[in-house]
Amino acid sequence: MPEIALKIDRLTKCYGSLVAVHDLSLEICAGEVFGFLGPNGAGKTTAIRMMCGLLKPNAGRVLVLGVDIASDPSACLRVGVCPQEIVLWSKLTCLEQLVYAGQLYGLSAAKARSRAVGLLGDLDLAKKKDQLPQSLSGGMQRRLNLALALVHDPETVVLDEPEAGLDPQSRVRVREYIRSLARRKTVVLTTHNMDEADRVADRVAIIDHGELLALGAPEDLKRSRGEGDVIEIGLKSPADSDRAQMALSSLALAGRAEIHCADGALVVRALNAVQLLPRILEVLTAEGIPQGEVRLRENTLEDVFIQLTGKRLRE
Amino acid sequence: MKLWVVFLKTLREFRRDVLVLVLSVIFAPLFVVFYWAITAGGSTTYAVLVANQDQGALQTDGSRLNGGSEVVGAIQKLVYADGQAMMKVEMVADRAAGEPRLKDHSAALLLVIPADFSRTLASTGGGNAKSAAGSPVTFVGDLTNPAYAVAGILVNAALEETIQAATGQQRPVQVTEEALGASGARTEFENYVPGLLIFAVIMLIFLTAMTVAREVEGGTLRRLQLARLPAADLLGGISLAMLLIGVLSVVITFGVASLLGFHSQGPLWVAVLVGGMTCLSVIGAGLLVAAFSRSVAQAFVIANFPLALFMFFSGVIYPLKPLVLGTVAGRAISLYDLLPATHGVAALNKVLVLGDGLGQVGYELISLLILSAVYFALGAFFFQRRHLNLGG
Repeated sequence: MPEIALKIDRLTKCYGSLVAVHDLSLEICAGEVFGFLGPNGAGKTTAIRMMCGLLKPNAGRVLVLGVDIASDPSACLRVGVCPQEIVLWSKLTCLEQLVYAGQLYGLSAAKARSRAVGLLGDLDLAKKKDQLPQSLSGGMQRRLNLALALVHDPETVVLDEPEAGLDPQSRVRVREYIRSLARRKTVVLTTHNMDEADRVADRVAIIDHGELLALGAPEDLKRSRGEGDVIEIGLKSPADSDRAQMALSSLALAGRAEIHCADGALVVRALNAVQLLPRILEVLTAEGIPQGEVRLRENTLEDVFIQLTGKRLRE
Repeated sequence: MKLWVVFLKTLREFRRDVLVLVLSVIFAPLFVVFYWAITAGGSTTYAVLVANQDQGALQTDGSRLNGGSEVVGAIQKLVYADGQAMMKVEMVADRAAGEPRLKDHSAALLLVIPADFSRTLASTGGGNAKSAAGSPVTFVGDLTNPAYAVAGILVNAALEETIQAATGQQRPVQVTEEALGASGARTEFENYVPGLLIFAVIMLIFLTAMTVAREVEGGTLRRLQLARLPAADLLGGISLAMLLIGVLSVVITFGVASLLGFHSQGPLWVAVLVGGMTCLSVIGAGLLVAAFSRSVAQAFVIANFPLALFMFFSGVIYPLKPLVLGTVAGRAISLYDLLPATHGVAALNKVLVLGDGLGQVGYELISLLILSAVYFALGAFFFQRRHLNLGG
């Protein structure tokens, strides 16, 4: 049984008549990268703020490594938070920011300095240690923002949109760093970038209107939700289209399977279509149906997200 | 100790914000220099215009009396304790020639001595009390000009002295003036210094409010919350830095004033102690301002309100009739007593001008201590409630 780094137990937060988070329960295991997804106004930020002790819930509780933060707020110190906005002290150098933050978390000056120097090195900021934030590029500022969440070496790190506004090089650097963190820490990642979540997260939770809609590994969600994979198999003879559809109807296509022909191609849409591709080709070959180009579009996490949360624009 | 960490960080930030730090520290010393220049390093010499139309008169002993000239001479002899002239007399032909100078305030008063002034004096002299009433001596001036009131009193004194000397008539009751403490030996410049010292302190309300508001506006307050930094450590650390800047400004103000000829009548360390205590109260008020500010700009605007109260209702600029709220231990408590600057100015006046020591400013120091505690408590309470509230 893996250790539970962060447990959210029936968390509810209301602002007047607005229910921002409703009866939300999650268990985040130690060492995993957990994606926390939802459209704007879904309740992610409210949930995150409750997780790190910045907001008191109306009901429910948050346990950090088994300790209820309501009864022992110091447990929150074991969580590091990197906010989406770049929040830096404008008159402190990179090194001073980290040392100051470390000391506020209770580290000695020497220990804070040692941690700060290490983090600046890890995040390619060592040469900028004596620079003020305004002299850093946006990507560097974001990396410094990330370092500030880690300076006290927390067991759990909450990263709110860590890749927002980054150029591709910085994005890759931050992603690599998050992956490297995952071996040592629990990472909770909120993002609108489904590719990012898909690539980095071991499990994701999708919430909307303050409620949990889906929870699981990205691969599992993609197999079970959304519009499904789409396979287009070119038919050398349009006359084969009816025969091809008949042949494939015998296959066990899970969920909302859909087979039709369009523009001289056989289109198969199903949640598990990609996995069935070898079998589909085998059946068509056995029926003596000559095939042309095969095009494949896998179900994405974004498809899952849109199916769960809808296409309506949020404020 | 996290309070100390916040203190050092605040000082470090100010070290990088040199302009703000320097302006804050030299604000009061600059005013000292300005006032020194205005008073020419001592006291104001008032410009008095005299239209001397007196034609003189023969006295009963055959000698000639030029009363008008004697009045002018008496005015010119008026000097401060340090020998500086109180009046600078300029002769004008008549009232019409002097009035423009009164209107543009380049002169404080116009004295018109009538043609029959000496004749009137001569007819009154030698015990002849039943003199014919002569033409009046006229004081002309802008009554809204504070300099007129001072010049008027002094010129009137010189006039009285001349009349008494010329007529030999003494007042039935003599009036003597006794200076309180060492106030008689003070120059006008020295009298300004206690009020200017309060300037050094009052400006802290901006600096404190804006420093705290910067943490709120920049979002760094959230980082401090995440680190579970107690509000007392945050506000205490910032306040300690402000206290240091305030005391530094007070000491520099004293230093500059001393270089320009200011002498404290009482022990200087008591004055610095009063300055420090006043700093604490003003910093507390600054925290209260910060509690209601979400940005530096907002803090700046809000801080103007208590600043105006401190400036105009504490006696820094001019004394006010007290609005008594009640009596505590036999002492009347006025509405202005709720303002720390009131006690600061009173105590500094006692120490610097009247030569009082610690024992004589106990009431003011205790008042400042109580006000500091109240302002700090209110500031911390509202800051916690408005900026650190976990209820959302």
